[in-house]
Amino acid sequence: MTTFRSRILESINDANLQTALDNNTERRLKGRAAAFESIPDWRDRRLRANKIRADVIDNLDAYLEKFIAKNEANGVIVHRAKDAAEAIQIVLGIARSITNHHLPTTKTLIAKSKSMVSEEIALNHALEKENMQVIETDLGEYIVQLRHERPSHIITPAAHLKKEQVAELFHEKLGIPYTIDIPTLTATARKVLREVFLTADIGLSGVNFGVAETGGVCVITNEGNGRMVATLPPVHIALMGMERIVPNLDDLALMLSLLPRSATGQKLTVYTQLLHKPLENQTRHLVILDNGRTRLRNSPLKESLYCIRCGACLNACPVFRELGGHAYIGSDLSIAPYPGPIGSVISPGLLGENYVQLAQASSLCGACKDACPVNIDLPKLLTRVRAGAVNSKQSSVISGGAGLTRSTRFGLQMYTRIATHPRLFAASQKLAALTSSLFAPFSQWIHLPAFTGWGYSKDFPKFAGKTFRERYVKRAESRESEIDNAYSSNPQSPVTNHQLPIGRHQFTEELTALGGHVYNVENATQEIIKFLKSRNINKIHLEPNLLDEGLLRESNIEFTHEPDPQIIVGVTNAICGLADTGSVLIVDGDGSPLKGSLLPEIHVAILKTSNILPSLPDAMHLVKDTRAAVFITGPSRTADIEMTLTIGVHGPKEIHVFLT
Amino acid sequence: MPTVQLFVTCLVDSFFPQTGEAVVDIFHRLGIGVDFAPDQTCCGQPQFNAGLRKDARAIAEHTIRVFENTTGDIVTPSGSCAHMFRHNYPELFEDDSLWLPRAKALAERTYEFTEYLVDKLNVTDLGARWDGALTYHPSCHTLRGINVDRQPRALLAKVKGATLIDLPHAEECCGFGGIMSVEHPELSAEWLKRKISSLEASQAPVLVVTDAGCRMHIAGGLNRQKKSQRVMHIAEVLNGK
Repeated sequence: MTTFRSRILESINDANLQTALDNNTERRLKGRAAAFESIPDWRDRRLRANKIRADVIDNLDAYLEKFIAKNEANGVIVHRAKDAAEAIQIVLGIARSITNHHLPTTKTLIAKSKSMVSEEIALNHALEKENMQVIETDLGEYIVQLRHERPSHIITPAAHLKKEQVAELFHEKLGIPYTIDIPTLTATARKVLREVFLTADIGLSGVNFGVAETGGVCVITNEGNGRMVATLPPVHIALMGMERIVPNLDDLALMLSLLPRSATGQKLTVYTQLLHKPLENQTRHLVILDNGRTRLRNSPLKESLYCIRCGACLNACPVFRELGGHAYIGSDLSIAPYPGPIGSVISPGLLGENYVQLAQASSLCGACKDACPVNIDLPKLLTRVRAGAVNSKQSSVISGGAGLTRSTRFGLQMYTRIATHPRLFAASQKLAALTSSLFAPFSQWIHLPAFTGWGYSKDFPKFAGKTFRERYVKRAESRESEIDNAYSSNPQSPVTNHQLPIGRHQFTEELTALGGHVYNVENATQEIIKFLKSRNINKIHLEPNLLDEGLLRESNIEFTHEPDPQIIVGVTNAICGLADTGSVLIVDGDGSPLKGSLLPEIHVAILKTSNILPSLPDAMHLVKDTRAAVFITGPSRTADIEMTLTIGVHGPKEIHVFLT
Repeated sequence: MPTVQLFVTCLVDSFFPQTGEAVVDIFHRLGIGVDFAPDQTCCGQPQFNAGLRKDARAIAEHTIRVFENTTGDIVTPSGSCAHMFRHNYPELFEDDSLWLPRAKALAERTYEFTEYLVDKLNVTDLGARWDGALTYHPSCHTLRGINVDRQPRALLAKVKGATLIDLPHAEECCGFGGIMSVEHPELSAEWLKRKISSLEASQAPVLVVTDAGCRMHIAGGLNRQKKSQRVMHIAEVLNGK
């Protein structure tokens, strides 16, 4: 048995893992299905998304040029890395230039939010070797880092663990009393990691999309750590694969209607950030990575570059459901950076021959293609990997059998000879029928031994004594049709085109469903004072020119326009609201509203009812010329431990919107 | 009299000839002749799926030549082989200006059996009779490969006497996957277990499929586990009287 096969068997026999994977699959599939109900035109959307991605990959150089020029004009320092080694050198270079100001005993501290590209180039390992401290801040990533593991799922890195295992880990590594209470575990991580955000020298994040038209860097996050690392440390490094471009903000809005639904079953991720210019006293580096993507683009696997890393194909895949992310290994036994159906294409596609064997572990059932929000034909790509596309310099593939065992290859090649010679074919059928009768004279089934593969779990049918071709008798004339040919026409399902009521009512419903609070008020200042008194809070971080500051003073509410991690309530303006997702838009400006909506435990937003827009695409023009902006959709949350929804990871635990 | 070409598939030909006979009977009842080109063998899907494209091409070229000598629509009692003709042959000859049009011409003539009955002949009621409960497993290549699902369900709905039961987790693969069931028997076994428990949960004694591949896989598993349920091709059910 190959090592890959024994690793598969280990996964299958790991009861903890199987329970965790079953839970992950069922919840994700249900969540995704429910989320897509709210966009009945999703089939059309995914075809449009496919077209956009195809156009981007076809014209990638031009889009990248535009994207980079915009970023440079925005004051972002752009680097291009042709491979993993170059990318690592670039990040090290940036880190060293900061370390120079340090005492030799202080380690450079890097706070990192989720980035699959960093996994692909094994960045953490390289930084640690240079005596730097890298801390993963996504709850799931933090857990797997503490366990010295790799993420097992691109969206839920700790999908393979049960809460008891996390409890044990936190007890051992963080010194808290053993508890399986998920909110307590989450709160512990919040406390430990908050310190990291506030003291880190560098924040490092991935990039979900780069917008060519504006240079916007879109980073989405549910917990808020992706905002922390891009907002608090003096240096932000954004690491992106070169294919992650969308042409403009409208296309981004379309992608954002598909990505969170596919990934986590959310209409919109809690925090959808768009970063343009660095914030005050902040330097931003953008590292754009090739690492095999140009080669992939010129290969028969080009379509795999359309991927937007939602992980839906993993959740839909029956192979992933048995294996989890850690059993996808190369012939050198290393764990592939990208698991699941897309991983079995891009892991060999980007990193080569070593991972080719993964593509043979698929029944080509097509559940992945069905789930893909950009309609990538994954079964086709898997057969191309098998056909040798990884090493192909041509656009098509003509031979191969990559990752196939020698005996299967031999058997199939024999069968080719038979199937191209009809008389040999018929003779072989007779011979096989005869032989199988010898093996199983009294049964319709042959009991093959396990080593044959087939015999591992099922019996093999006996060849028919008389084949169809023998039984077939061509009847010169058929009888008159005996049955009533009356047919019923297929009734077309009526397309109901009912318009959803938009506006305040829908906004309130959506946000409330996510655990947010909405109030309709005449005088925001008065109502907020009442709210603060009811909570015994007398100091707030306030965006200037928003509330009646005289009235606040009279009511003994202290306020500051400077961000302060000790303050519990941040009050900011919301530029607009989105009715269909219950989101509010916060943009950078005086008084650091981005921090005011991130650091405190409670975020209060003031929104004019007339500024509630129907949906994300209607608001895209508002973010175009901002330094940085974020759409906030409910309180900070995670489902990284056993898929259990937990509120308030890194960002605010509560969001209150006062509609005026 | 209109006549269709039957591509019976290597699995039906060698293991389940009764499926082919049921197809012929049904067409005859509809007043349609059935031609069987005797030089046909296999569509080449095992080689194609394994990545042995040179081998797959040799078989595909043979098959294309066999059917170029015939006229009329080609009907096959397999969603998987229909998918092979329709999607994988054009993929195989993508860069071959000689063979690509020939492959596409074949693809355009080809229909899966239930698809042909419902979409082309507009027939759903074949006057079939079946006493007892049935449940339907949508084979992966029928359901997702060529998007055929309402057709077999519409045909089964018209079978007199039959009670149709929903199969839990119906759209999950049974674990056949051609050579995968040999290359990765451990994976294949897990899915087969799931499929058989779903079948048991449905309490139906008969599982209906549109593909001989799924049939031999699930029935082989049932036989190994000494279960009493049967797996049948839809043509045999629709030919029931």
